[in-house]
Amino acid sequence: MSVMEAQGTAIRRLDPRFKYRVAARPGGENIKACFACGVCTAGCPVAEIDEAYNPRRIIRQVLLGLEEEVLTSDLLWLCTTCFTCYAHCPQDVKFTDIMGVLRQMAVEQGYVHPTFVGRLEAMDELCQRLRRDMALVLLKEKTQAGEFDAARVWPQVAR
Amino acid sequence: MTQPAKPNGTTGAALVMGAGIAGMQTALDLAESGFYVYLVEKSPSIGGVMARLDKTFPTNDCAMCILSPKLVECGRHLNIETLTNAEVLSIDGEPGRFRVKVVQHSPYIDRSRCTGCGDCEKACPVSVTNEYEGGLIQRKAVFRPFPQAYPNAFTIQKAERPGCQVSCPAGVHAQGYVALVRDGKFNEAVNLVKRHNPLPGICGRVCHHPCEAGCRRGVLDEPVAICQLKRFIADYENQHPDAGLLPVPSEPRSERVAIVGSGPAGLTAAHFLALDGYQVTIFEALPVAGGMLAVGIPPYRLPKDILNTEIAAIQRLGVEIRTNTALGRDFDLSDLKEQGYRAVFLALGAHRDQKLNIPGEDAGGVLSGVEFLRDFNLGRQVQVGQHVVIIGGGNVAIDAARTARRLGSQSVTIAYRRSRQEMPAAAHEVEAALAEGIGIEFLSAPVEVLTRDGRVHALRCQRMELGPPDASGRRRPVPVPGSEYVIPADIVIAAIGQVPETDFLAQGETKSLVGRWNLLDADRDTLATPIPGVFAGGDAVTGPDTVIEAIAAGRRAAESICRYLQGVDLRGDRDFSRPELTVGKIPLAQATQGRQPMPELPVDARLESFVEVELGFSTEQAVAEAGRCLDCGICAECLECERACKAKAVVHDMTETERELEVGAVVLSPGFEASDASRLFPLGYGRFRNVVTSVEFERILSASGPYEGHVVRPSDHRVPKRIAFIQCAGSRDLKTGAGYCSSVCCMYAIKEAVIAKEHSTEELDITIFYMDMRAYGKDFEKYYLRARDEHGVKFVRARVYDVSETPPGNLLLSYAAEEGTVEKGEFDLVVLSVGLQPSRDLVQLASATGLAMDEYGYLRPSGPEPVSTSHPGIFVSGAAASPKDIPETVVEASAAAAAAAEVLSPQRWKLVKEKEYPPERPVQNRRPRIGVFVCHCGINIGGVVRVPEVVEYARGLPNVVYAEENLYTCSQDTQDRIKELIAQHDLNRVVVASCSPRTHEPLFQQTIREGGLNPYLFEMANIRDQCSWVHMHEPGPATAKSKDLVRMAVAKARLIEPLYRTPVPVTQRALVIGGGVAGITAALGFARQGFQTYLVEREERLGGRLRRLAFTLEGDDVGALLRRLEMELRSHPLVEVYTSANIESIEGFVGNFRTRLGLGNGAAIELEHGAVVVATGGTERTPTEYLYGQDDRVVTLTQLERMLAQDPGPVAVDQVKSVVMIGCVGSREAGHQYCSRVCCSQLMKNALLLKEGHPGAEVVVLYRDIRTYGLKEDAYRKARELGVTFIRYDEQNKPVLEAGPDGIQVVTYDPVLGGHVVIAADLVALAAGVEPAPGARQVAQTLKVPLNEDGFFLEAHVKLRPVDFATDGVFVAGICHAPKTVRESMAQALAAVGRAVTVIARDSIDAGGPVAGVSQARCSGCKTCEEVCQYQAIKVDPDKKKATVESALCKGCGSCAATCRCGAITLKGFTDEQILAEVVALS
Repeated sequence: MSVMEAQGTAIRRLDPRFKYRVAARPGGENIKACFACGVCTAGCPVAEIDEAYNPRRIIRQVLLGLEEEVLTSDLLWLCTTCFTCYAHCPQDVKFTDIMGVLRQMAVEQGYVHPTFVGRLEAMDELCQRLRRDMALVLLKEKTQAGEFDAARVWPQVAR
Repeated sequence: MTQPAKPNGTTGAALVMGAGIAGMQTALDLAESGFYVYLVEKSPSIGGVMARLDKTFPTNDCAMCILSPKLVECGRHLNIETLTNAEVLSIDGEPGRFRVKVVQHSPYIDRSRCTGCGDCEKACPVSVTNEYEGGLIQRKAVFRPFPQAYPNAFTIQKAERPGCQVSCPAGVHAQGYVALVRDGKFNEAVNLVKRHNPLPGICGRVCHHPCEAGCRRGVLDEPVAICQLKRFIADYENQHPDAGLLPVPSEPRSERVAIVGSGPAGLTAAHFLALDGYQVTIFEALPVAGGMLAVGIPPYRLPKDILNTEIAAIQRLGVEIRTNTALGRDFDLSDLKEQGYRAVFLALGAHRDQKLNIPGEDAGGVLSGVEFLRDFNLGRQVQVGQHVVIIGGGNVAIDAARTARRLGSQSVTIAYRRSRQEMPAAAHEVEAALAEGIGIEFLSAPVEVLTRDGRVHALRCQRMELGPPDASGRRRPVPVPGSEYVIPADIVIAAIGQVPETDFLAQGETKSLVGRWNLLDADRDTLATPIPGVFAGGDAVTGPDTVIEAIAAGRRAAESICRYLQGVDLRGDRDFSRPELTVGKIPLAQATQGRQPMPELPVDARLESFVEVELGFSTEQAVAEAGRCLDCGICAECLECERACKAKAVVHDMTETERELEVGAVVLSPGFEASDASRLFPLGYGRFRNVVTSVEFERILSASGPYEGHVVRPSDHRVPKRIAFIQCAGSRDLKTGAGYCSSVCCMYAIKEAVIAKEHSTEELDITIFYMDMRAYGKDFEKYYLRARDEHGVKFVRARVYDVSETPPGNLLLSYAAEEGTVEKGEFDLVVLSVGLQPSRDLVQLASATGLAMDEYGYLRPSGPEPVSTSHPGIFVSGAAASPKDIPETVVEASAAAAAAAEVLSPQRWKLVKEKEYPPERPVQNRRPRIGVFVCHCGINIGGVVRVPEVVEYARGLPNVVYAEENLYTCSQDTQDRIKELIAQHDLNRVVVASCSPRTHEPLFQQTIREGGLNPYLFEMANIRDQCSWVHMHEPGPATAKSKDLVRMAVAKARLIEPLYRTPVPVTQRALVIGGGVAGITAALGFARQGFQTYLVEREERLGGRLRRLAFTLEGDDVGALLRRLEMELRSHPLVEVYTSANIESIEGFVGNFRTRLGLGNGAAIELEHGAVVVATGGTERTPTEYLYGQDDRVVTLTQLERMLAQDPGPVAVDQVKSVVMIGCVGSREAGHQYCSRVCCSQLMKNALLLKEGHPGAEVVVLYRDIRTYGLKEDAYRKARELGVTFIRYDEQNKPVLEAGPDGIQVVTYDPVLGGHVVIAADLVALAAGVEPAPGARQVAQTLKVPLNEDGFFLEAHVKLRPVDFATDGVFVAGICHAPKTVRESMAQALAAVGRAVTVIARDSIDAGGPVAGVSQARCSGCKTCEEVCQYQAIKVDPDKKKATVESALCKGCGSCAATCRCGAITLKGFTDEQILAEVVALS
């Protein structure tokens, strides 16, 4: 019995070259410094709402050379670019920038159409506006009532 | 004591900077090797960080228990001069001749007088953060860092002068009396004020209190009500006089001094002159004493009885006051001279109002303010009108207005030409006036007094507006044209300023006294006038000013007059400058709290009388108000310590001293600082009370700590049920600038976890959050596994993202589990395993001295020479070179001693002093007189055993003539006390009931020897280990057992006899076993210090493991290093090298060894030497796993290294495209349960060589934990950056290899990816681990030294004796002790030299004492003793058939005595009679 069989199914073959290509791009330089401490994941607001989203794992996939797996993943597009991981990384990996590099590669390699990126950006802007407007609603409520009361505000926002 | 340099050469002294465990060890080794040592320590005590630790791993010894004897040994060593509170400023010169500038900061306590009694501490009212206790509790401003501190003396901590004191013209110690009020010491407080100001009750009412303007609390909310506190204490003293605190005048002196004027200046001068013993007379023109205080200030502000009380107090000092006696009217200056007055102080005041200079000013009803108030105060008739207008904006104007209002005027109006902002009157006075219905016309200036029938009927005023600022800095009032208006008035009072009345002086001989504006002319500093012996001060010199300025002038005049009368220079060393107000920080955590409200008389009641308006604080209010003080100066200079100190050791004006020391070598061992946890913002330190640092947690664990060993959390002192440790807090983190690993945190965290579990009575859940578990040291891995498997400490591999707080003070940790889930964990207490960083002082000194530092500020050695710096003759040891633990630090300390000794050796024994003991008191044939000392050991013993009861019991035992208890019997002060008591009570036996004789017996023996007793007239009862520790929950039985032990010790003590040690000559040569890098380094170390050395190697060639390596991680070329070392070795005349040689036997004992060496072919020689260094080395383990030996493409890391060094191997390394390295092969597994320490570094080294030399080659490292401890972490990061891939594997889930024709397929599970990966490798390199060399076991048997279960040599003590064996004169170095790197082996070899030289530097050692002796008559020559002796110390002469003992070899173990059938053998100090006496005493 070969080791391949012994280990079961999902065995991936390591390809060392991909990480150098990522590192060669502006923003990707520090990816190799990662020592897998997981602070990026622990602080990530996306990971908080979606367990599948795991920045440390994405970095690991790059380091192991699982190029197609990374670039075709839907998870690639969930990052909100809040820079929390970037700010807390003890090894200065700059994961937010790396996400930019990976998205760029995904587009270049045709896994995602450029128009999708445009739509994503528009959606991000919409989200920002929505958030701002909702915050203003909350603030207005706060000024009027003198105190914050989420339960009362929420129906107004939801409308 | 500065030693002069020897002409043409070296000075036989060394300087050691930093007196932590490293500095102390270096100092001791150097001093024992024949050199004089200056030990310079920044803090008030030696001991360093180790003194703060609770227990030490892996043995869980109490840190203080093993450190304390060293503190005393170091502290009282004759040839170690300890300079505490001292810093090295600069180092100049060259090896052999350095000049080191040292500044010794003032401890404000004379160290030679301080007895460490602690009375000052009890008296001190200021509490500050106790940094020794991790800030968890407070200590006093006068303190001793910890009870066992050396020197056993106190230190006063002072910051910058407090703002209140600096702002006071008289320099009153305001923070001091505020602190005393807070402490309820009211009489003491008022006494302190009187040191500068004899009128506290007056100033407490009328002072304009510039102190409050200087109060830093004002920046936060409101200044402390300092003035009101002064009033409170003065009033308190009136009601509760304490005669014991009254100032007492010095011896009376004959000189008479005249003071003209009894105002505050005159009274103050009189007070201080009278205290100095002078005969003082005050001449006062008015009918009452007090000057403006009496006639200027109305009684509702300053009641007459307050004034009179304070004047009476001055009169009681012998001051005479002659009222109604005016200068110029009743006498002149020449009269005073004739009457025998030797000096005069003119304190005339300023009592004449200035004119308004407007038309109508001379009309009836126009009064002067001063006159008005004076007449009223003297009880004279005063004119009172219905409508009073007062002109002016000062205090006189307000006083006049409020007085007029009280006298019944219907309307009182003040006209002031500027706005309220510019008003010179005190703000609260203005407010009071307004409250009393007084109107104030601001921006209004009088133009004309309108008269009718020669009397005023109105005042014409003009509106003003404010223009640009004038010379006084206030905006100048400018008339508004056409704005004139009229205020009706029947009385107008002008109060626009006063001048002194000096007309009568401005002529004749005294003309020179008067200057412009009628003011007296005097030197502004000394107050001397142009006429010798005549001084002037107060308002008459300055113009109208404040009371406190007048008081300041009075005190200054008194000092000048003293000097004048004693013929001392008036200026001399006096400091007339007013210190600058410094702006210090206010602690962020300081809560705001406004000042206490001052109770006042209601307005209605005020207007009916002249009763005092402000009623004064209640006692509670005063104490609360004083509690608002921020203690800016730390020490408040309340001088209570000075009063409390019976030894008169307190010197508040002590200054720092600078010394230049001449030394031949310098060792830097300043240690480290814990990284600043507050910088790790997400982890919550400083924000959440229950997040503590590991250092603080050590104190929480410590029995002598703030919680007395009860594990509770700071916020609510509740016992935590869940504790989290967060590793790498401030380490392996580029964000904090500390990219390195701090080396020690993993182990101390495990230790703290285990100890916490042991301490807790309930179930305690502990989780350690870590990234790589770095248990890389000797026996660390086993400790880690025991913590996990036996103690149940949980280990979670995750770096914590942040900590937040959830009520009630619990903490929520968020982290990502390795498989990717984001987890939250709730804990009651969080411990941050803070890292180490270089001490900032070192960084400063290194820059000043030009020593090369690395990017972190460590003095990282650039070459392989151990403990070296970039400057020859300057060495570094311990955590200043890189983060390291205690054993490695101690190793480097001894190595640094050896390195320094190489420089100093020409001057060995030249500068040292010899100990001289007093003659021994004869005890033979005398009745035993036993002294018993029972130790509390803080609460270690005293917390369980009822020590006073044991003492009382001991007192009643036969032959006990003295017994007492001690807080710490081992502390320096008790040692001195024991010596005194021996003489005082003629003691001839001493019993100490305390801890283990193993650690403390030598200390007490030396003490009684210094006290004139033979050191063996000593017995010890271990009531700590055997009573308080093992019966910690049973105080009753523990106390009873303590009594039993003391009774037994006393019973034995009655029978003990003096024993003597005799000198045995020492062979001043060394033997080194093993010719690897450790052995070679050791041999050279001896030779360089001038000692003949034999180096023995089993193999044909020298070099050992070094020959199999090519590089080191630090970048050393191993081949070149070996060639260099070998060349020096071969050419050194003092080294004899024996290769292919075999140790056949080693006989003898410390100082006198004889070794038989087999040289092959049956040839043998015998060598004589005084010390042995064992350095038998180690080998790489031969793997049996991962196809090793079956496939050429699987090699060990060492084989790979040879291949990389161009040695041909099974695979052509430059053709290799993909290498897989596997860590922990055969290490950290059953049968090999230790970390081989070097493999991770070796792995990084080879990975880097591969990536740098063959960039095309891919390297994948499969590891269990990466253990690149310390600065080696840099290499790990570099390897990653170069593209080396790291994948972790579990012991239970190891990688699998399959060989194929094109390469080896390696399959491993990646826990981050959550799946298997397969790697195609051309070469697999195994980290095979390290084992001891095969010869070690035989050497161990020959030398009778122990091995541990892994076959490595076992040192005497893993923490503090890392290169010594329990057998004297035998030392260990290199891998045979435990796996270590080349550089570490070299350091340990040098350390072994440093330790061994303390033996062979002497020409003799003492032998004998408590050893076995044989009665020749009884001995039957049966040889049983010879068989049982482990030390070959007893031999039976084959001819005489009698046994004899080699006393230098005998360890006194007693085996022979116990087995001797004839009863011929007696162990001295343990005779049958003595033992039986103990047994009988017990039964």
